[in-house]
Amino acid sequence: MTNSDHIRDEELELYALGGMPELEAEALKAHVAVCGECAMKLAESRGSAALLSFAVKQEHPAGTIKAELLSRIHANRAHEEDYAWPVPAPERPETGGLRVGKSARNKTSPWWNWIVVPAALLLALVSLALSYQNHKVSQALEKQRQAAQALLQEREKTEKLVGILAAADTVTVRLAPAAEAAGSGVVRYNARLGMLVYSALLPEVPAGKSYQMWLVPTVGSPINAGLLEKDARASTSVWLAQVPANTDAKAFAITVEPTGGSSQPTGPKVLIGAT
Amino acid sequence: MPEILRGRWFGRHALPHIRSSSKRRIITKEQSRNSDEVNTAGTSSSATSDWSLLKRIARKEEEALSALYDRYSGLVFSTAKRVLQQTGEAEEVLQDVFYQLWRTADRFDPAKGSLAGWLLVAARNRAISKLRRKTHQSGELDEDGVHLAVPLESYAAQNLLLEKVRAVMASLPDGQREALEYAYFEGMSHSEIAEKTGQPLGTIKTRLRSAMEMLKKVLR
Repeated sequence: MTNSDHIRDEELELYALGGMPELEAEALKAHVAVCGECAMKLAESRGSAALLSFAVKQEHPAGTIKAELLSRIHANRAHEEDYAWPVPAPERPETGGLRVGKSARNKTSPWWNWIVVPAALLLALVSLALSYQNHKVSQALEKQRQAAQALLQEREKTEKLVGILAAADTVTVRLAPAAEAAGSGVVRYNARLGMLVYSALLPEVPAGKSYQMWLVPTVGSPINAGLLEKDARASTSVWLAQVPANTDAKAFAITVEPTGGSSQPTGPKVLIGAT
Repeated sequence: MPEILRGRWFGRHALPHIRSSSKRRIITKEQSRNSDEVNTAGTSSSATSDWSLLKRIARKEEEALSALYDRYSGLVFSTAKRVLQQTGEAEEVLQDVFYQLWRTADRFDPAKGSLAGWLLVAARNRAISKLRRKTHQSGELDEDGVHLAVPLESYAAQNLLLEKVRAVMASLPDGQREALEYAYFEGMSHSEIAEKTGQPLGTIKTRLRSAMEMLKKVLR
């Protein structure tokens, strides 16, 4: 394409007419951008090509077009006067003028962008912070709610304990170790209320096992009265259990059962006491 | 010569304002306080240069834009209409070109070329862009610097140039004229022209170069 570091005139003429393959056109443009001599020759070639406008059928546009153009300009001027600085962005893409330079190619932003964009960013940041804060507050509230619920349950348990211990018809049953077992315990049972409170001192439960309390009624099978699991919130190992009201008990016993307990006693008795 | 080409290029459509030039009144400095203004009724003062008007447009004087519009709107519109073959779209191009002129007049550099040349090339490029959008074609069009070294500020000068260009075009072989039309007014690539005309690519390039050589003679 080039001759002595310049683009041949014929190539510039072909480019000015249009239709040159994209790659060739890009190479030519890159050279012209840095070569004043070729840029001048290209401008001349464009001028020659522009002569073709004189060869077409000459027509005049409707008179209303000029009026529309002036109206557009008036509207734009009114807009610029309302928003004096800077110039609003053009409505259509502009492909340049007589080498208007980089500054002309830079699209000016509407003035309100200088307010709207930072404000939008600030709003987004504030929203993010508030969202995070809201999340933290929600977490704290949930913890508080759970703590309050635990306290409530503890209070109910304490009230029941007090109610059972204070009741005149509550009986006390002492638990003694069964054969080859160790430990001791005590049961407070109120048949009317169908509740019992108990505590026990027992060796560490074997792995995979749980201690389970049973009410042995005068009639029928033993009734599950709960597992002796450690309660982290309880200050002492005191367990409260609900059983069917008005059940006559003839004994209480603690057995070793698989973890999670059994519906009926299956393991060895460790503590037992008769009413 | 194909009839379609005759119709488009040599349709004996002289610039309309030339026909009634004898009826027009040229405003001279002595006749008007605004001595360098153009009569917006369609006549122009040869004393008012394009650049003089452009400076005033840059100062946002609407009368100057109006004068320049009167001077070149026919050529700009006709160029766009030739490409688009549609009046409404050609009018849009016309308005866009002059609107851009209004907005960016202060950035035009006389050292880079002529205003009339830029108007004509800008009209062609915008029209081709519209045409390409219809066919989903891409390709950047470039109009940075158009040097048209002939005076066009009077209708007489425009008419003289019109006659010269048409004389040159009449002398071109059909193949050259056809290639010029496809490239400049229909935005076709060289290979598309070769395919359409059934000629080798090299022949198309040769025809275009030869035609351009002839056109350049008009400016000498």
